[in-house]
Amino acid sequence: MNELLSIEWLKIKTYKTFWVLIGCFALLLPTWNYGIANGFMKIGSGDLNIVSQAYSFSNVWQNLGFWTSIFVVFISILIIILTTNEYQFRTNRQNIIDGWKRLEFYHAKWLLVFVLSVFTIVYVFLIGLIFGLSYGSISDFPGNISFLFFTWILSLNYYSFSFLLALLLKKSGITIGMFFLYSMILEALLSKGINWWSHSIAGNFLPLQCSDELLPFPLLDMVKRLANMSDSVVSIWYVLASFGWIIIYYLLGRKKLLKSDW
Amino acid sequence: MAKLSLLKIIPLDSVLKVQGISKAYGTIQALSDVSFSVPAGCVFGILGPNGSGKTTLLGILLHVLQSDSGNYSWFNEMPSDQARQQIGSLLETPNFYHYLSAWDNLKIAARIKRLINPDIDFALKTLGLYDRRNSTFQTFSLGMKQRLALASALLGKPKILVLDEPTNGLDPNGIAEIRDLIESLHQQGITVIMASHLLDEVEKVCTHVAVLKKGNLLLSGKVDEVLRSTDQIEISARDLNALSAVLKHAKGILQIEQVGDRLLLQCSEQTKPQDVNEYCAQNGIFLSHITWKKKSLERKFMELINENQTN
Repeated sequence: MNELLSIEWLKIKTYKTFWVLIGCFALLLPTWNYGIANGFMKIGSGDLNIVSQAYSFSNVWQNLGFWTSIFVVFISILIIILTTNEYQFRTNRQNIIDGWKRLEFYHAKWLLVFVLSVFTIVYVFLIGLIFGLSYGSISDFPGNISFLFFTWILSLNYYSFSFLLALLLKKSGITIGMFFLYSMILEALLSKGINWWSHSIAGNFLPLQCSDELLPFPLLDMVKRLANMSDSVVSIWYVLASFGWIIIYYLLGRKKLLKSDW
Repeated sequence: MAKLSLLKIIPLDSVLKVQGISKAYGTIQALSDVSFSVPAGCVFGILGPNGSGKTTLLGILLHVLQSDSGNYSWFNEMPSDQARQQIGSLLETPNFYHYLSAWDNLKIAARIKRLINPDIDFALKTLGLYDRRNSTFQTFSLGMKQRLALASALLGKPKILVLDEPTNGLDPNGIAEIRDLIESLHQQGITVIMASHLLDEVEKVCTHVAVLKKGNLLLSGKVDEVLRSTDQIEISARDLNALSAVLKHAKGILQIEQVGDRLLLQCSEQTKPQDVNEYCAQNGIFLSHITWKKKSLERKFMELINENQTN
């Protein structure tokens, strides 16, 4: 396992695109949140800035988690590029010719996906710690930290989804296009459509949506809580659904790689 | 003494056995029921025109393509991934990470091959790329890319080298260098399996050959047996029918074909024109014309290919 990961590391450690995208994520996520916390990025109208209240412990994890769910696209794109590169350079074939089993190639990339999701969550934890200490008191630590766990699930879901998409489509341009089309437009249409048509919340359980449900927009969530109309579905079902989809991605990708020509 | 003679009769093991491999892309049959084996230490050429299935065959043997049926084994049933780690390969185009340096690319290949002590510098020096070891792959010319791929194939001193059109894209100098390299590897006892559409290349470099045509293996064996240039003798006489009847019983004449008012004879190697002349005279027929035609290898190759087209 270490061997697979260290070979993956050799492939990316001097790759500029890797550092640029990781840098975008690492710089923009705290800057964005700093802006909101200090009121120069306003979510709300006029002088009202509700979200800025949410950077003390207890709420910081949900708040950061929500914004992370947007900034994970940088790392999703990174995973798409790293995967489609293998097809474009035909190094996927070369890795096999040089002596990897097909599953070793597959698992090396899965390990990378996993490590990037762990990186995401460790990084979010550190930022959360700094914000929490700056805007609140340590006595409230850790607060609502289950949202940190949800953030990890969401990042793993997004990363493995983009990995599967890249395996299926093989070309970076079309994969990135499809990723945005699906994650930003298609899935929203589908999930709202299914909910409306079936008079249920079945649409919330679509591949990426089920993880998004774990990290709702904090403002909306607050209003809902105030109005006592919180969603009746407990988070555990969304957690299970997310893991279910991740396992499905794994199995689909595995089947595709073992059966097809490279 | 007894021991020595025992050693002598043990045949050279084959390093690769291919049995009944077939593969179709949709309705196109890329390979049908191909079987052959590659003896250790030979230079084995897979010869065929473009589109005959050479690359598909090598792709299957290196596990990047799936065959529809049939099987193969390297080094007597060694697991395929372990075998591949001991095979140096160059398939179609050089495949490397464009943004990595030559050295880093070879490092990755060496790690995947699980080489404990890969002499990357030596491989780069052998192919004359050592000065450019820190340049990224994307800055290389086509010839340099091809040489880097060969350097990668030579990492860890493989027992077998698999090369697909190794001289593709090289200048005449480069081609000569590659041929010398293959020759010296052969001298060191390394088995080389190479695909080529160049008859001339196979004839110069290979000891064994398999001829592929539209996915069918036409024949395989030693180069001097398969591609031996047989001679033809062209003769004529007043009564062609009588001549033909007489020759049917002659030794050393393999085939008789009438071309216009002449007969074209395929003869065995020992049969020379004077033998034919003498034989006809002894049987009461005097030749009005006799010529000895040396058949070129190209002609032989074309014949092989065309023969099977009509069947």
